[in-house]
Amino acid sequence: MKAPRATSTGTTIVGCIYDGGLVLGADTRATEGPIVADKNCEKIHYLAPNMYCCGAGTAADTEFTTALISSNLELHRLSTGRDARVVTAMTMLKQMLFKYQGHIGAALVLGGYDVNGPQLYTIAPHGSTDKLPYVTMGSGSMAAMAIFESRWKKGMTREQAVELVKDAIESGVFNDLGSGSNVDVCVITKSKVDYLRNYRKPNEREPKEQSYKFKRGTTAVLTTEITSLVDIETEPSNAGASEGRA
Amino acid sequence: MEVLFGITGKDFALLAADTNQARSIVVLKRGEDRTVDLNRHTALAYTGDPGDAIHFTEYIAANVRLNEIRHGHEASPNAVAKYTRNALAGYLRTRQAYHINMLIAGVDKTSGAPALYWSDHLANMTALPFAAHGYASYFCMSTMDRLWRPNLTLEEAIIVLQKCVAALKTRFVASLPEFKVKVIDKSGIRVIDVKFEK
Amino acid sequence: MEYNGSAVMAMKGDGCVAIAADRRFGVQALTLGTEFQKIFQMNKYTFVGLAGLASDVITLSDQLRYKVKMYELREERPISPETFAHLASSSLYEKRFGPWFVEPIIAGLDPKTGEPFIASTDLIGCINFAKDFVVSGTANSQMYGMCESLWEPNLGPEDLFETISQAMLNAIDRDCIAGWGAVVHVITKDKIVTKHLKGRMD
Repeated sequence: MKAPRATSTGTTIVGCIYDGGLVLGADTRATEGPIVADKNCEKIHYLAPNMYCCGAGTAADTEFTTALISSNLELHRLSTGRDARVVTAMTMLKQMLFKYQGHIGAALVLGGYDVNGPQLYTIAPHGSTDKLPYVTMGSGSMAAMAIFESRWKKGMTREQAVELVKDAIESGVFNDLGSGSNVDVCVITKSKVDYLRNYRKPNEREPKEQSYKFKRGTTAVLTTEITSLVDIETEPSNAGASEGRA
Repeated sequence: MEVLFGITGKDFALLAADTNQARSIVVLKRGEDRTVDLNRHTALAYTGDPGDAIHFTEYIAANVRLNEIRHGHEASPNAVAKYTRNALAGYLRTRQAYHINMLIAGVDKTSGAPALYWSDHLANMTALPFAAHGYASYFCMSTMDRLWRPNLTLEEAIIVLQKCVAALKTRFVASLPEFKVKVIDKSGIRVIDVKFEK
Repeated sequence: MEYNGSAVMAMKGDGCVAIAADRRFGVQALTLGTEFQKIFQMNKYTFVGLAGLASDVITLSDQLRYKVKMYELREERPISPETFAHLASSSLYEKRFGPWFVEPIIAGLDPKTGEPFIASTDLIGCINFAKDFVVSGTANSQMYGMCESLWEPNLGPEDLFETISQAMLNAIDRDCIAGWGAVVHVITKDKIVTKHLKGRMD
């Protein structure tokens, strides 16, 4: 018997530091084997007010891992009374993933801004991490890295960084079969986050030219049962009027 | 190579289980009873791993009885079947999952309505008007589909059963000489003797 | 997932949602029954359809019903379909390394606003919130194709019924182990219409 397949995010996710902040990017395709399960899913997850995290790999794992760490970071903030640092989140994520020995299939790009400025990490499913100025992950990582390697330079402006990230994701969208649909971008600066959901939509569907509506009564029906959810109350008119229910 | 049949009729349910105890290609015993009475109006027939099956059915029978003593109320076939399924499903994802396939049949003691439940070792369960387990299902579901109709009398149901066994005799490699047949109706469970052509 | 065979889908309409499922119960190629329940009503406006291993369909539907009832007793208000989707998702992820072999579909109306809601999750609880339709089961590629071509925005309850019914019936005709009749529930603010469809029995 074939083993059932979980939704995975054959994905392009990237991150890039610029002067004064960092930019995260992701495509929006979720796949189930060769089938596109979701054409516009969200892969940039909230971790803390100053931190976001892109996820690739098993979709449920990226979703629940980031949600769990996000909760723990909130508790951490409340108990310490100060904003959590990006290394803290990175350490929590890597320790959890290492504990599960790669069985939690989450490949992450973590970006945030704290007292040490903008920082960018990648975390692999087995728990290894990298700290780099520009990173890519997922099945479209090579396509995206090609863009970074040819065009990334030190000391970019925000506009240049967003443009570069957008092009890196689009390179994944068009050259990697596991990635597709739209470009999500998230810009994190000191004390401000701009989550640009569907920053670019290079694959918008044309509206249908004709309607395929069926004539009512086309479908052969064996039985019909109607459950009314309305309480009908008769207005108390004369003396002795009672309330009825349908 | 074990075979079970279940047929519901107008006011009764019928269970039939072959009586061969075999292991691999060897017949170990004839006259094995693969049916268990769970209460006065519900019976169960099983196939599967013999150790698992006996242990599990004894457990179910004892608990159904215990429940009846505790509450002074005989559970309906529906309740018994669902209890059995829940127990089997509970063990499914443990290391001691029971490998047992069952047919649970009975009648509601007040309305007299018959019920038949089919369940396999994964605790897949459904209510059916007629059912079979083992290789018999591949041979005889079509036979029963053709011959079964609502409100069968006992005589007619026995004919359906005889035709199913006849189909097995002509096309199935293994020989299944005898069947234990139980009928459950409002008056309780009784074993009947059904003649099958040689 | 291919042990029993199933097809479940849901669609959003204008102020309504529809959820449909096939009715086959079988083990691999052998059909045993044609009246198996795969869609369960969780409360007034929330329905869940479970495609996958029939045993887990029964176990999980019982467990979800229990959880919904406990939630509603504790909160003294009906659960919204969106909250229910998260409840189902967490219940599935709880069993991350020994999952239930089911892929649920959730359809309903928000009990306060009446806003239509549909979602699907995979077998370990990754939610897919959709604005158009969701499908699950062995006939999923066929259903994607049918829904993608038949669905259009702002369908009223009557047209939504025809659309989902035709999408379902034509999809299951191309799947050997799903079909044998279908059931459709159309949920609107003031009523639920349940229809059993005449389908091919081969």
